[in-house]
Amino acid sequence: MALLLGRNLTRTYSVGRQLVTALATVSLEVIAGHFLVITGPSGAGKSTLLNLLSGLEKPTSGEVLYKNISLSKINESKLANIRNSAFGFIFQIPHVLPHKTVFENVAMPFNYGTISDPDHYKRLCLEHLEYVGLGKLVDRSPNTLSGGELQRLVFARALVRNPEVIFADEPTGSLDAANSTIILDLLKEQADRGRAVVMVTHEKEAMAYGSDILELKKV
Amino acid sequence: MAKIDDILIELNLDLKDAWGGLLRRKVRSLLGSLGITIGVVALVAMLSIGEGAKQKALDRIASLGLHTIRVEDARTGVGITNLSYGLVLKDTQKISAWLGDRGSVGYFSRATNIAIYNNQLKGQGTVMGVNPEWFKAEKWLVANGRPLLPDDMTRQNRVCLLGASIASDLQVSVGSNLRLHNIPCIVVGIMAAKGRLLTEGTGLSTLDFDNTVVMPWSGFPFVKVVAEEPILDGLLVTLKKIPEREILPIAEQVEEIIAVSHRSVRDFSMVVPLKLLHKVKETQNLFAWVMGSIASLSLLVGGIGVMNVMLANISEQTREIGLRMAIGATKKRIISLFLCHSLLLTLSGGILGSLLGLLAALAIQWLAGWEVAFSGVSLILGPVSAGVTGLLFGIYPAMRAASLTPARALRES
Ligand SMILES: Nc1ncnc2c1ncn2[C@@H]1O[C@H](COP(=O)(O)OP(=O)(O)O)[C@@H](O)[C@H]1O
Ligand SMILES: [Mg+2]
Repeated sequence: MALLLGRNLTRTYSVGRQLVTALATVSLEVIAGHFLVITGPSGAGKSTLLNLLSGLEKPTSGEVLYKNISLSKINESKLANIRNSAFGFIFQIPHVLPHKTVFENVAMPFNYGTISDPDHYKRLCLEHLEYVGLGKLVDRSPNTLSGGELQRLVFARALVRNPEVIFADEPTGSLDAANSTIILDLLKEQADRGRAVVMVTHEKEAMAYGSDILELKKV
Repeated sequence: MAKIDDILIELNLDLKDAWGGLLRRKVRSLLGSLGITIGVVALVAMLSIGEGAKQKALDRIASLGLHTIRVEDARTGVGITNLSYGLVLKDTQKISAWLGDRGSVGYFSRATNIAIYNNQLKGQGTVMGVNPEWFKAEKWLVANGRPLLPDDMTRQNRVCLLGASIASDLQVSVGSNLRLHNIPCIVVGIMAAKGRLLTEGTGLSTLDFDNTVVMPWSGFPFVKVVAEEPILDGLLVTLKKIPEREILPIAEQVEEIIAVSHRSVRDFSMVVPLKLLHKVKETQNLFAWVMGSIASLSLLVGGIGVMNVMLANISEQTREIGLRMAIGATKKRIISLFLCHSLLLTLSGGILGSLLGLLAALAIQWLAGWEVAFSGVSLILGPVSAGVTGLLFGIYPAMRAASLTPARALRES
């Protein structure tokens, strides 16, 4: 069964007086345990598609169903809750809160989700930091981390809430080959563990990790 | 209720988060809340000065007695006519008769700079001839010996009671034989220290209790006599069990009685402490208005400063806001975060301002010699009004932050 279903997704932007079509009538399924790679030339609408699937923005027409719930029809706070509890995000630039420690950054999703018992969430955060190899850097400032370490921090943050889908938009775009491999291996492992992975990339090496490939053409 | 618990937990998280954001840009935060700080300094300093002035006025009124009417001799010396010689015993009898059991009439005559001898020791002071009603009305306590009694009046006893300072200066004790100028007099009481009557600014003559000797008026040897009529220097009408609103009408009647008896010659002055109280309240109200306007204005200016800082913070943190939304922050939480931020900004400015305001008030007291007083209200009012300003001026930036869509915010470079 599809976790996510995109139906006839179209997204247009008005830039000045012009209407730019970023994505036109794309339909797709996101399935648990699959590693979906979305590829295509720059400007083809890959990021737009990822944003629509993950509820970061709304389609101009068409709809995204998450477990048969239309993301366009639920209210803003329900959508935020789904992003918090069911989705994990990795971006090309590792977005962090620079004034918080590595640990605090990984714990951020708990700030916006239901907090069970504090010991439990602390353990989860530490476990995931350990998992991505940052166990020794928990109290460091993100400013002192390398690009590869930052991306692994983001990875840990994407995993702490035990998401069903991991969205990664060119996660290796700003990394060297060695760090890219680490991230791609981690993503692959998540797909193998039964999570759905949706990754945007235009790199050949990265595409090779995919179990399904969707290629977008420029409209 | 679980719902309220959740809200409190979230609020706590956002407050901590916002505090971190505040510390992140220390100089900017400090400068941004400077307007608020200065506003609150002014507010607290002015409230303290106002409170000090009010306290001083209230002390004066309490010293004079709220339920009293004080009348003093105000003959100018020029153009004395035979229409009126000044305050006389007959005036007190008329007032007393009209008042009945609503009050008592004390009176006194006074002689200043009288040489006072206790054997070899010599001093100088004011000697007053008073009636027992006056004595009682001033609530002057006897430390040693006995008070002035009605019997002293009827027998015209040459007895006296001494204020605390002059008694100790002249080493006087109960039973001492004094000479006032050249009049012998037996000491029957030593008074407790009382300080001065707070007449400053009222037009009443000064009265330094501790350097005063009192005698029964009937035996007072220094009374001024005009046309064979002994002249009184002052009356002290004390009202009993009279509601406050009846005091002023009674005072008018008393004035009328004296005026008629003096054939309309204005040779006396009258002070009603209750009137002073009303004046104090009026002044306080005016002061509150002026101060309120200045404070609101400076809070307004401060609030705009805070709004500016918040808008700068938010445009700088657009991508972070996008990130927070991506990982699950609702619009409500974004609003909450930035409202907490501006609240903490102004609240800390307000608390700092309150402390500096206290220091400023103390400095003013020290340098200018003005009385200042600190009311709890002024200390609370500063931070509270600062906090309210923070919330009001934080709404627009917070709403703006929350209106971003996560995808657009994340795309921001
Ligand atoms: N917020 C936006 N406003 C205007 N145009 C946009 C916006 N987001 C994307 N676009 C346009 O939509 C097209 C697709 O963008 P994007 O999805 O980022 O492409 P890709 O990720 O494949 O490079 C591009 O032409 C881009 O300029
Ligand atoms: Mg892209």
